[in-house]
Amino acid sequence: MNSRRLRLLVCAFLALLPVPAANSAEAPKAGGILNATLIEAPPSFSIHDETTISAVWPMMPCYSNLMLFDPLKKQESLDTIIPELAEKWSWQDGGKSLAFSLRKDVKWHDGQPFTSKDVKYTFDTIREVEGVTAKLRVNPRKLWYENVEAIDATEPQSVIFRLKRPQPSLLLMLASGYSPIYPAHVPLSELRTKCVGTGPFKLKEYRQGELIELVKNSDYFVKGRPYLDGIRYTIIKERGTRYSALQTGRQDIPFIWEVAKTAAETTKQAVPQLVMIEASTNVNDHIIVNFRRPLFKDPKIWQAINLAVDRKGYVQAGRQGAAVIGGVMLPKPYGVWGLPEAEQMKLPGFGDPAKQKAESKKLLAEAGFGLSKPLKITVSTRAIAPYTDIASYIIDQLKQVGIEAGLDLVETGVWHPKMTRGEFDVALNLTGIGPDDPDANFYENFKCGSARNYPGYCSEEVDSLIEKQSQTADQKKRLQLVQELDKRLQLDGARLMLGWSKEYVVMWPYVKNVVPHQSIYNYGRMQEVWLDK
Amino acid sequence: MRVYLLQRLITAFLTLFGMSVVIFVLLRLVPGNIVDILFSSAGFVNPAAKQEIERELGLDQPIPVQYGRWLRDIARGELGKSYRYDIPAWQVIKPRIPVTVELAVLALLIAVLLGVPIGVLSAIRQDTVTDYLLRTLSLAGLSMPSFWLGMVIILFLVSYFGWIPSMIYVSPFEDFKAHFLQFLFPSLAVGYRSSALIMRITRSSMLDVLREDYIRTAWAKGQREWIVVFGHALRNATLPVVTVIGIEFAFMIGGLVVTETVFNLPGVARYLVDAILWRDYPVVQNLVMFIAIVVVIANLTVDLLYGWLDPRIRYQVR
Repeated sequence: MNSRRLRLLVCAFLALLPVPAANSAEAPKAGGILNATLIEAPPSFSIHDETTISAVWPMMPCYSNLMLFDPLKKQESLDTIIPELAEKWSWQDGGKSLAFSLRKDVKWHDGQPFTSKDVKYTFDTIREVEGVTAKLRVNPRKLWYENVEAIDATEPQSVIFRLKRPQPSLLLMLASGYSPIYPAHVPLSELRTKCVGTGPFKLKEYRQGELIELVKNSDYFVKGRPYLDGIRYTIIKERGTRYSALQTGRQDIPFIWEVAKTAAETTKQAVPQLVMIEASTNVNDHIIVNFRRPLFKDPKIWQAINLAVDRKGYVQAGRQGAAVIGGVMLPKPYGVWGLPEAEQMKLPGFGDPAKQKAESKKLLAEAGFGLSKPLKITVSTRAIAPYTDIASYIIDQLKQVGIEAGLDLVETGVWHPKMTRGEFDVALNLTGIGPDDPDANFYENFKCGSARNYPGYCSEEVDSLIEKQSQTADQKKRLQLVQELDKRLQLDGARLMLGWSKEYVVMWPYVKNVVPHQSIYNYGRMQEVWLDK
Repeated sequence: MRVYLLQRLITAFLTLFGMSVVIFVLLRLVPGNIVDILFSSAGFVNPAAKQEIERELGLDQPIPVQYGRWLRDIARGELGKSYRYDIPAWQVIKPRIPVTVELAVLALLIAVLLGVPIGVLSAIRQDTVTDYLLRTLSLAGLSMPSFWLGMVIILFLVSYFGWIPSMIYVSPFEDFKAHFLQFLFPSLAVGYRSSALIMRITRSSMLDVLREDYIRTAWAKGQREWIVVFGHALRNATLPVVTVIGIEFAFMIGGLVVTETVFNLPGVARYLVDAILWRDYPVVQNLVMFIAIVVVIANLTVDLLYGWLDPRIRYQVR
């Protein structure tokens, strides 16, 4: 056999060998700097003060939680929670106490040891417990821990959360990117401009409005992690420039909440080797009707508005295809708690558009409005895309049933104050939910008198159902209750749900283990990410 | 000359004072303040916490008191604290000034190096093919906004070279080549538009001067073309050109928002817009004052240059 034949034979044999899986089965490589992208500078570095992904995404690698949603699992649920600062935990007293055993080998980035006092300090500060002098500037998630009665930290390595009533969802909230543990020895005001955490990366440099650079924490308590030497978050405000930077390899991954499906597709078309991942954002789009206004005391009016809007058209025209129709909770397959599609489509507003528009006109006529006396309303929305895109679509839909709707563009700075004060007729709004969890959603947005209950919706019956589902430990029973609530809230017009937006993450194939979850707020830790370069 | 300079300095001071009042009042006429923005992103408003932050930032005080405090801080050489970044405003502003100044100077350099010779050539070859071509080129420059040209440059670089300049500011002491390339393309985008304007002014000014008697005399004496054009005509034609250069420089310091955004340069203008959106009053007020000072200095410099360029101009106080 001559050497040429031998080489061919060897090649043929090698070709028959099984090829290792391209992604997670590969052995991770350590080293390298990940070039990540931000679209704006974070308002501050203090996650507990903020509600924007622009703060959570670059700061999550700096901190640790008691527990975290597994970064490598796409769908977050109670089953995907993994330990972080807490080695283990258990429910006690019939679900009224949650006891944690903490890791002993953890140090803050400044070398101080981590203890249970830090855990107590963090959550007592959020709860604004009497006697705690540290005060968060805005404190948007105080409501999450309203059910916590006390936190005991008698031993340095153990901590117990004592609850007023059982609340299985507490674990989901503690696993969110919004629940990092803060150092008790560093003033809160300092944490707005620097980061002292226990996470896999430390803050190296911050150039305001330009760059956040993190460097590997060699003392990180998870051995062998992180894989990366550092992460460089470059703030690129111009969308075209961001995509150009990604296409040319200046950036390895985009900002995870780009939404622009068309831009993602164009980028992928230009550079076919880029990987495009479709995921959910856990942000829903909905219409809010101001129940405080006399006009909406007649349910026919808001029912007519609800029926006027074609939901499939909203997905195509309002979101350019980057959304999925859904109710109050994120629908499957992205979420855990949402109504099945068949159930959702039976609800008013989700049926045949032509029939619904006819029904809408009928309701308006019954309410005393018609061609000679058209219903005139104003649709308020935030003066930024995608709010304006969807609002314009809604106005067009309303016109088709004879409702004369004007557009009121509200600047970001006054949007929420205006909503809180109830200075609107109808509004087009977007709401992001931290974890895919009924408590995080219902308590914030639907309970009587809650801060973000902009429509002024209030039902004692619904409130007691919210309490009931929150205390139900059996997940199957809880799911039933949650779906019952979802339907009820939609039938009551608490929020006229349109759907849930999707994100399109386009990145280079050498970036491994960036796995988008159904909520953008919970997978930014980056300790599992590595570069196959 | 000294009296003239003093008079101009007093006028400049009064202008800046007027500017400070206008900036201060206009900013507060815009609805919402930083606290509203903070709560806006949080999605709710806690009136007690809102009041507390407003007190902490001094926003609960009447506007005249706030204005007085700002002037007092300036007199002490302090620029207050950035509401957004929680650090002294000067620390936020300082690194941005060299970026914008460098971009403006480079763009202006390109504009002058292109605009003046092309303008002269166009004037001395009036109504020839060369003139028409150069005028078309300048019209194109005036018609294209620099930010649009910037986007086209970026797209061109991506499509044909698969490369764009660094997205992070690179210091010249760190990597001169990367720094140069980072500034070259935005300077070209901005400089081309300005060169078109300078070219048109140079051309029309040169045409006026070339028709003067003393130029005709110079031609009649048989002087060489380059002596007539550059030795006699150009110097006298430069007065309006210098004025335009001064105005362009002042404009560039505060007006390159989109160019800085497109090329991701951390300059003054881009940050100013960000600060306005966040109602970061100390940063906005001080940045606008900085731009106003640049405008005043640019104007003063142009006026002083007049005397040097044209000795017939005397600085007299009326």
